[in-house]
Amino acid sequence: MNIPTNLAEISGNLHIGLAALASAVAVGLIGAKASEAVGRNPGAATPILIQAILSSALAEGIVFFAIFLAK
Amino acid sequence: MLFSLSSKYMSRGLKLVFSASVAALLSAAAVAAETPHAEGLTPNAPQVFAIGQLPVSNSMILSWIVALVIIFVARAATRDIKENPAGLQNFVEWVVESVRDFLESVIGRALTAQTFWFFATAFLFILFTNWFGLVPGVGTVGWGTPDAAGHLHHISRPLLRGANADLNMTFAMSIVFFGAWIYWALKANGPLGLLTHIFGPRGDSKGGMKLLLIVVFFCVGILELVSIVFRPVSLSFRLYGNIFAGETMLESMANLVPALAPLIPVPFYFLELLVGFVQALVFTLLTAVFTLLICDHGDGHHEEAGHQETKH
Repeated sequence: MNIPTNLAEISGNLHIGLAALASAVAVGLIGAKASEAVGRNPGAATPILIQAILSSALAEGIVFFAIFLAK
Repeated sequence: MLFSLSSKYMSRGLKLVFSASVAALLSAAAVAAETPHAEGLTPNAPQVFAIGQLPVSNSMILSWIVALVIIFVARAATRDIKENPAGLQNFVEWVVESVRDFLESVIGRALTAQTFWFFATAFLFILFTNWFGLVPGVGTVGWGTPDAAGHLHHISRPLLRGANADLNMTFAMSIVFFGAWIYWALKANGPLGLLTHIFGPRGDSKGGMKLLLIVVFFCVGILELVSIVFRPVSLSFRLYGNIFAGETMLESMANLVPALAPLIPVPFYFLELLVGFVQALVFTLLTAVFTLLICDHGDGHHEEAGHQETKH
């Protein structure tokens, strides 16, 4: 159970795991901030929804790049 | 080959995607032959039959069905237009007006009038293909090879398949948008205006600072050019990835506990209904905002007029 050998066992799809982790955090942050913004200003719900959907789409695009384009 | 009903899939998940993603990307028009040991959803749509040299995949059949249904409903709703709409005409008017109002709130009235045909078609077509892909029977009726005992565990060539679970479909829509985007950008800015919009410096500064900013904004323009060229790729992969992952997830959930196979996917069907709507919205919104960014520049007074209009 030495750590370098175990680290060497990690291979293959690490980049997808990291991309999924990062974009999950990003989408969570966007959702939290969007809910906060709607709470502060309920009248602006529709523009905030648009901004939130756009930015979460861009954030989750990273995963698809990692899955399909990086080898 | 055996024609039969089966919902027994073994999902190996995304491993299949990696091996064939590059092939799927490169063979934009070609439909690959069925893989011998494919389990779960294949990343590329299998060919069902061929018209001469043209291979017809199951995704193509589904997209034709959806297109025919949309055309038929539109024709039936507008055959006998009344002053006071009722029934089908009322429903279709509600759908079209909702999409138009939404687009006007995002990109403004003038640009909507010019580009409504594309965004409304893209939104409705993506929405209905996504939802039609969730109808039970799509992906589970088709041809498969039985094992030695004569049991059919897997359908390797389904008769129908979600059209957006095929990269060819989403990439074709992205390329159509890219062509339309270039046309709209040239129409709004002119060739020289388009170049200054991408490469030209913004803000007002004088003397040596201005010279420096020209260099900086030229480099920014190169970066922007790369991002523009990558837009069709990211648009198509986003839609394809979401819908393909959704169908793979439904299959995995059906295989999770064999005894509860009909029950476990039910909540995920509702999730996929939501995802189908959100992804149609995302495709439309992103393409609309890209168009707004390139067209709503250069004539400042028009932009200000638009802002005043929305304030009232």
